[in-house]
Amino acid sequence: MRHLFGYEERSAALFLAPVMLVLMGVAVFPIFYSLYISFFRIKLTRPNRTPFVGLDNYTDLFTNELFWVSVVRTVTFSVVSVTAIAVIALLISLLLNQNFRGRRVLSTILLVPWAIPYVANALMWKWIYDSGYGALNGVLYQLDFIDKYMIWLGDQDKTIFLIANAFVWKEVPLAAILLLVSLKSIPSDLYQAARVDGAGVWQRFIHVTLPAMKPGFMLVMIYETMMAIRHFDLFFILTEGGPGDASHVLSWHIYVETFRNLSFGSGAAMSYVLALVTFALSYVFIRTLGRRI
Amino acid sequence: MSQFSQTNSGGIDYRRRQKVARLLQHLVILLGAAVLTIYALAPVTWLVSSSFQTEAEIVSVPPHWIPEEPTLQNFEAIFSATEEEEITYETRSGQDPASGGYIPSTAKNLIPSMWNSLIVASLVVVLNLLVGVPAAYALAKIRFWGRDASVYFILITRVIPDIALVVPFFLVIRKLGMLDSLGSLVLTYLAVTVPFSVFILVQYFEGLPDELDKAARVDGCSRFQALLRVFLPLSLPSLVAVVLFTFLTSWNEFLLALMFTQTEASQTLPIVLAAFTSDFTISFSFINAAGVLAIVPPVIVAVVFERYIVSGLTAGAVKG
Repeated sequence: MRHLFGYEERSAALFLAPVMLVLMGVAVFPIFYSLYISFFRIKLTRPNRTPFVGLDNYTDLFTNELFWVSVVRTVTFSVVSVTAIAVIALLISLLLNQNFRGRRVLSTILLVPWAIPYVANALMWKWIYDSGYGALNGVLYQLDFIDKYMIWLGDQDKTIFLIANAFVWKEVPLAAILLLVSLKSIPSDLYQAARVDGAGVWQRFIHVTLPAMKPGFMLVMIYETMMAIRHFDLFFILTEGGPGDASHVLSWHIYVETFRNLSFGSGAAMSYVLALVTFALSYVFIRTLGRRI
Repeated sequence: MSQFSQTNSGGIDYRRRQKVARLLQHLVILLGAAVLTIYALAPVTWLVSSSFQTEAEIVSVPPHWIPEEPTLQNFEAIFSATEEEEITYETRSGQDPASGGYIPSTAKNLIPSMWNSLIVASLVVVLNLLVGVPAAYALAKIRFWGRDASVYFILITRVIPDIALVVPFFLVIRKLGMLDSLGSLVLTYLAVTVPFSVFILVQYFEGLPDELDKAARVDGCSRFQALLRVFLPLSLPSLVAVVLFTFLTSWNEFLLALMFTQTEASQTLPIVLAAFTSDFTISFSFINAAGVLAIVPPVIVAVVFERYIVSGLTAGAVKG
């Protein structure tokens, strides 16, 4: 090992200084400041009295019924979304792994949902789900699946699944692109060997393709889970947590607590819980990516 | 295809079976491609179609999939809405007596908000390149003590949820008196863009041979000159990828903008758009036109630069 602060270290420090400064300012400092805030009772409606309350914000949180509702909603949303993303993205990546004319056009088309801003995605689905004039009712009615227009987002039993559908539609392209890389990296002699051993298409898929994709699959699933549990935009525009508490997810709970009840201390405590869960989830993610660069 | 050989093991000869299998494969691919195209494009097509419908036509039951009397009135309303002549119920109803006016007074904010989005996104892009490129060079080409720790540090900052940053950001920005300014957005967007940018760049720089660095240094270049003259020209694809991702992320960002912007001085396009959707008096035909305007720039960027985007996404990703 070279000297601790040799020439290499000094020049590296110079090159890294801007990025470190920026990340300290906009990521590290805020996350610790947030922890600090979460030990105080800060209400913007009462700016002059911000007492230190220790862990009260956290204990309040865990005894709050609505918080647990939001946890259940978040878990439901994430499990449904990530499962659907996994299945659909796998099918798409298998399709795009074939050689056929128009493959490039197809993969360009696939980028359209990915590029659309979430807000525009949300207003699009809001219009599709519209119970009066939306396309979903229109299609189902014209195909005779329903004999009268139905309520969609306003129906508690359907809300979270409909929002998940909008989320999946936008996230699937990225997942499919990433899975495709992992498919393409499977050496073709593995397939040759399996073929020689007399494995059919299905057996080759089960015994060669799936195991080889496992690491890539893991990364994609962890990434999409992190995206799902923090997702906010669709809930804000499609339902505002409703109807009732049917789509009252954690991120919405944080938003309401912080910016509608103006209670910043407990809002910070909640978002800290979310950050810790994310960090726990991301352990594998970071380890794998970190080893690669 | 073994299933085939089992079911047709009798009379059909090998070549014919192969042919049938090939045909079946083509059929499955064709079907898959058709389903995927519909899945990805149908919702957007419906949005675009309904943005060209009048307020009267858009409430047809069942819906008109193709506008029967296509109109540009929704887009005209957006582009002609100015500070001086607010389009309100009264001024609008003269043009379209069938439905009255459903154009919100905030329509005039739409075009300025696109400028705000553009300015913020451009500044964020420039800052990303300025801080990202030297960092990536150091991480990829200099073997120094603390390199791995720096890599992990940057990766960890990449997974911090944006919503966990909102509260501390808000308090700091308020204290600095920067609420409702474009500057607050530029600063906070760095948190959600810089880690990924560095990540893409490091991956790319690592792929460039170390000998380039050594050769440049032997020729008397300083590290900085080596970066500027040797690596920068070679790393164009990754620079394009960074520009694209950073631009799209900033253009599409909603949560932080929702918290820090209050007036048209700093509101970005997603914020103005979101305000429309919560107003029940606004016609969907108008909202959809606004939605189409928000969709067009990023989709054009994605389609034109498809190659760079896919390579950028996969650089940071999953090589098994």
